[in-house]
Amino acid sequence: MDQKILMKNEIGKLYIELAEEYNFYAPVINKGNLIYNKILNPDEIILDFYNSKIPPKEILFPKMETLFEYKTDGKNIEEIIERKDLDEYNIIFGIRPCDAQAFMLMENFFALGDIKDNLFLKKKENTVLIGIGCNIPKSTCFCTSVNGHPFKSDYLDIFMIDLGEKYLVEGISDKGKNMLEKLTWLSKSTKADIQKGEELSKKAEESFKTKLDVKDIEKILEQSFDHPIWTEISDICMGCGICSFLCPTCTCFDVIDENDQYNNRGRRIRIWDTCQFCLYTLHTSGHNPRDSSIERCRNRILHKFCYYPKNYDMLGCVGCGRCIQLCPVNNDLRKIIEKVNKIKEEEKVNA
Amino acid sequence: MHNPYIPLLTEIKDIVSENKVNDLKTLELVFKKEEDYKAFTYIPGQFAEISLIGKGECPIGIASSPTEEDSIKFTIKKMGSVTTAFHNCEVGDIVGIRGPCGNGWPIDEMKNKNIVVIGGGFAFSTLRSLIIYMLDNKYRNNYKDITVIYGNRDSGEVLYRNDLDKWKKRNDLNVILTIDQEEKGWKEKVGFVAPVLKDVSPSPENAIAVVCGPPIMIKTTIAVLEELNFKDEQILNSLEMRMKCGIGKCGRCNIGNKFVCIDGPVFSLAELKKLPNEY
Repeated sequence: MDQKILMKNEIGKLYIELAEEYNFYAPVINKGNLIYNKILNPDEIILDFYNSKIPPKEILFPKMETLFEYKTDGKNIEEIIERKDLDEYNIIFGIRPCDAQAFMLMENFFALGDIKDNLFLKKKENTVLIGIGCNIPKSTCFCTSVNGHPFKSDYLDIFMIDLGEKYLVEGISDKGKNMLEKLTWLSKSTKADIQKGEELSKKAEESFKTKLDVKDIEKILEQSFDHPIWTEISDICMGCGICSFLCPTCTCFDVIDENDQYNNRGRRIRIWDTCQFCLYTLHTSGHNPRDSSIERCRNRILHKFCYYPKNYDMLGCVGCGRCIQLCPVNNDLRKIIEKVNKIKEEEKVNA
Repeated sequence: MHNPYIPLLTEIKDIVSENKVNDLKTLELVFKKEEDYKAFTYIPGQFAEISLIGKGECPIGIASSPTEEDSIKFTIKKMGSVTTAFHNCEVGDIVGIRGPCGNGWPIDEMKNKNIVVIGGGFAFSTLRSLIIYMLDNKYRNNYKDITVIYGNRDSGEVLYRNDLDKWKKRNDLNVILTIDQEEKGWKEKVGFVAPVLKDVSPSPENAIAVVCGPPIMIKTTIAVLEELNFKDEQILNSLEMRMKCGIGKCGRCNIGNKFVCIDGPVFSLAELKKLPNEY
């Protein structure tokens, strides 16, 4: 069997072996929140967790990222300095299957078109995702409704199942398999371990309370652009943007120059942006195609459940539930999807 | 690794103030490196992300035609912080440029057709590019009758006077200028673009209408074109949208599942009617 065993008390050993070559990211508690951070001491790693507040997308697509740096002669540009850190290798340890699926979506998005976002793609290429299945999904989780599964290993390089004192470890991609081959000290798994893993997967799947119907959602949304539900849905929205900032699949950004004029240098950076802000689409002329929260709420839902399927034949949502947990006014995505589905039922009744 | 956010560097060769109130300037740029100039091949209707380092970047339509060699032109209205910085530039300043972006006017599909160019205000820049391209000796025979209808608020706002004078002297295109209200000394038409178009009444037979201007002008013009029996496929528009990256990544210029920066900015009316009305 290919599956190996990693004892939980061996994680320090794993870290020491890999951290020399890789930036080793893992879940830690930072200012009271669970996030993925670069580990300097393996004792910091938190393994009894549900998921991070900020998705691990921030490792490869940071909140603020330098596009390039420059030197000036006080007015005009003299030199452009390219980034040199993109060749570094990363490990994201403990990533959840939904967040790994989100990386796959981001990779598709950044690779689309004639001009690719090589900043992201290069980093993704240099990153090994070591994920852990979710034994106990939260009530806000709905990955099984959006092509995911708490034990989905497809978008990971190495997949682990938490068996209590130890992890059942399996290489998924070539990258992952090669890495495991080098970790010769990992012990062999037994049939009982594998069986326990299968049981945990089944148990996790059965524990899902939320089952959303997204079968026809693309079509319904396309036909309901001017439907009154958007007024209803956006009514309580404060436009804070947390749903998209902390969405693992959202990729929008703003570009600005940071100028250090006293030292004749600076950098052009990109920072996370969100379609929930009115400035996002405001033209210089004053015209704004998405002037009110009605259009902005609608854009977020349509982007994920209509435009994404159209462009990529995939949903743009991985069911992590962050937007549900973190929305300050409880504008619940699950309820929004139910409302959208109701449009179709109502139409049937009226017909 | 190619970093798509790094601009090519150009130098300002010339600055022309285009209107009386001096809030429209055309910058003529030359590439610092010969290889960059060669790599930057564009067609009329495309745009570029141009930037002043430390001030920022913005998308501007390319006003020059690829047939005008050695330099590239942008007509910039002074509106926000970046465009104001452009207006404060002097000859010799360095401008970053990324592009060309977008699809541009479908110059191949427009071959062997009668072309009706309808422009209003400073949106005329990529139309200038198209007209200069079509009038070039190498390409003029590719296109049949060319009609240009160009409207402005007043005579002081009319762009590209030198070009217009040259075009007026030619007998292979019909140039109609109009301003909103009568003015002393104005010998051309008076009135909005839509009614002037109705007077000119170009035939839809084997024709393509290219429309660029403020939203209200586009709306009224399209209504007249429809009246004249132009089909949706025969009407082309160039859209504007707030943009940051110009390569379909920053997200904000979407209309439905299309991005104006890579799927546009040129859309036929038929294509636009398939998209949600959110632009």
